Amino acid sequence: MSFFDLKGLLRPLTGLSQFGKNPHTKRMDVLGQDTADRYRGFHYNDLNACIGCGNCSTICMNEAIDMVELAAEFNISQDKGNSGLRPRVDYGRCCWCALCVDVCPTGSLNLTKEYDYVSPDANSFLWTPGVDNPYGKDQLSFTSSVETSLMNFERIPMRELEGTERVKSFAEVVLGYNEEEARAEASRCISCSLCTEVCPDHMHIPEYINAIAKGNDDDALRIIYDNNPLPEMCGKVCTRRCEDVCAIAVRGEAVAIRWLKRYATERAQTSDLIKEIVNPEIQEANGYKVGIIGAGPSGLTAAYYLALRGFDVTVFEAKRFGGGMTMYGIPKYRLPMDSLDKQIGYLQKIGVKINFNTRVGTDITFDEIYKKHDAVFIGIGFEKPWKLGVEGEDLENSIPAVEYLRMINNEEIFDVGKKVVVIGGGNVAIDGARVAARHNAEVTILYRRRVEDMPADWEEIEGAEDEGVHIHPQAIPVRIIADESGKKVKAIEYIEAEMVAEEGARPRPVPIEGSNKIIEVDTIIGAIGQEADYSFISEEYVNKIELNRGRIVTNDQQQTSDAKIFAGGDAVNRTADAISAIADGFRAVKGIEAMLLKTKK
Amino acid sequence: MGTTYSKEEILAQQLQTAFEHLITEVVRKDTVFAFATKEQVSSILLYAKEKLGYISFVHLSCVDWLESGEFELVYIIWSPETKINLFVKTRLDRENPSMENTDMIWRQINTYQREIREMFGVEFPGFVGEKEFILEDWEDAPPMRRDFDTLEYVNDTFFEREGREDKQDVRERIAKRSGEEIPDFAKKYSRE
Repeated sequence: MSFFDLKGLLRPLTGLSQFGKNPHTKRMDVLGQDTADRYRGFHYNDLNACIGCGNCSTICMNEAIDMVELAAEFNISQDKGNSGLRPRVDYGRCCWCALCVDVCPTGSLNLTKEYDYVSPDANSFLWTPGVDNPYGKDQLSFTSSVETSLMNFERIPMRELEGTERVKSFAEVVLGYNEEEARAEASRCISCSLCTEVCPDHMHIPEYINAIAKGNDDDALRIIYDNNPLPEMCGKVCTRRCEDVCAIAVRGEAVAIRWLKRYATERAQTSDLIKEIVNPEIQEANGYKVGIIGAGPSGLTAAYYLALRGFDVTVFEAKRFGGGMTMYGIPKYRLPMDSLDKQIGYLQKIGVKINFNTRVGTDITFDEIYKKHDAVFIGIGFEKPWKLGVEGEDLENSIPAVEYLRMINNEEIFDVGKKVVVIGGGNVAIDGARVAARHNAEVTILYRRRVEDMPADWEEIEGAEDEGVHIHPQAIPVRIIADESGKKVKAIEYIEAEMVAEEGARPRPVPIEGSNKIIEVDTIIGAIGQEADYSFISEEYVNKIELNRGRIVTNDQQQTSDAKIFAGGDAVNRTADAISAIADGFRAVKGIEAMLLKTKK
Repeated sequence: MGTTYSKEEILAQQLQTAFEHLITEVVRKDTVFAFATKEQVSSILLYAKEKLGYISFVHLSCVDWLESGEFELVYIIWSPETKINLFVKTRLDRENPSMENTDMIWRQINTYQREIREMFGVEFPGFVGEKEFILEDWEDAPPMRRDFDTLEYVNDTFFEREGREDKQDVRERIAKRSGEEIPDFAKKYSRE
């Protein structure tokens, strides 16, 4: 090889022959690298699905999440069951552990694939997910599902008697939680307190459930008695609107708030034990006297809290036992007699005087009560049943459900025979049907709308079906047919109906012409509603109390247009359930206290 | 015809034959647990690596069983032949937890031991490795222990960013909106 190798020097230049020609290779497309499937980037919150329970904020160990009110333009729901607050994240603190997503009961909070954000202003790292990144909904990555969530969506099942076993007696159907079950069920609660707003009485639900979860049943009972003196009754038969808004219920089964209250109250087995555990502070007598008409839930509530506040309270009750509709209207397989006895016994031990068998208007005049007391509370309920308004309803063996239930609960005898038809779809109708089923009758319920329109509790409807009650929806009674004697019921004629959608209202049942059917029956039980009976109040007072469609008009402290008269319960509120009556009674206490004690000063 | 055993059952039997009183459990396909005393662990790891072909070290982690006063160390190793993940688990006393150094079997264990020493406070006497792993100048309790209050530490250590003053408490807001009066004795059960 010579020193000067010309060939070697020039060979690389041969490449120049390709100069200006198209390349043989192809440029590869630049592929954006996608992030991992469950990547944990910035949060995204579906603002409409979120209910503002604040569980994300509570779980965050870095205190990165605040619950804040958003501007009006976002139209955040302020309804009951929604706190109206939404989470805001401080990304200076967030460590992307995603526990907030794992504990979100609604599944509205998720993490996205987005992770890069650059700003020289450190304070701009405060983001409200869903507001600051509305596009995030298309980038979801670490999402929450019922399977992966750390929430416990399944309720501890309640033990019950078998349907076939139930109809044999009036034994209590629901058996109640034992200690282990109650602790487990209570620990499902996330203490968000959305339920308390829906409860008419605003009971301290998360507090007493938490006390049960922590194993302190005595504290739970004390918290419950803070604003409800008949909690065991509520624990068994409350309409429990609280459970409808339970955060867990969005994707699972609501915490069994009612059964937990029942558990806590049943731990105190006698009225003496209640007194020992609750051990309320009773204030010194203040010299004022309050008369209460009706020993139902509203009257007893007013009586209890007035007695604790030093008032001299006397309750006038027409019947043999206290409890009002909860005593006479609710069958004993749902609310046993000794349970009510225990609760009312406790109220009497605190100093509430109850005069049983004292009907106002007959045994004592309203005038006398009014003049002898500094304030009067009327809690008379709805006792008078509505008429069915069909031919033949006054025949023997056609009886209103409230009357039938009252007789059975009062241990009177009413023979319903073999075949019974109940008319109506509320809890009273179902109660009537289930009681009749316990007297060996074959029971059919006629209801004008669909089963899903029934105002009764679904558990009650299911219970009735388990016990062999037949429900015939979309059936309107036409007339009741008498037997040869013309005195007794023989059959009922009804007409089937179809549901017609109506704008702005629930569908209306419209009779289908020619679909009339007749079924033979021994007894017809009507349960289409009740109203109040004011005949006991003498005229001079009736005119002073303002009524509106059969209900007494009160202000927000249950005061009627006569300043000395307060009222509550079914005769006042629209919801007509026990817990609303208790709430009325509790409010009236504040009203009476304000009226009497302030005037003194 | 003799009984046929799955590869997982065979592994479990091999380990039980070699080590006295060893409890094994075939958890599912490709997963076998071995519950060992802390003295047995290094022998099991070495035996599995040299004799059974479990040549790949996957993971070493620690679980804090606060209620029973124990830490659990979990060594996960894998064999490319059987494709089984073998979990060797052992429990340590939570007071003064210490475990034999095993980084001479697999060098990677060194890093995991450093992490566990820092995060759980488990000591590995005789092992050489930097004292600090992620935490700098840490004087508090090991932070992955369950009794370490992260929230308290965070609140003591970091200041709150500007603009967070408008935060609200859900419980208070609901009570205010509905006019509920929560009695003082009940407040200790409210959400914190």
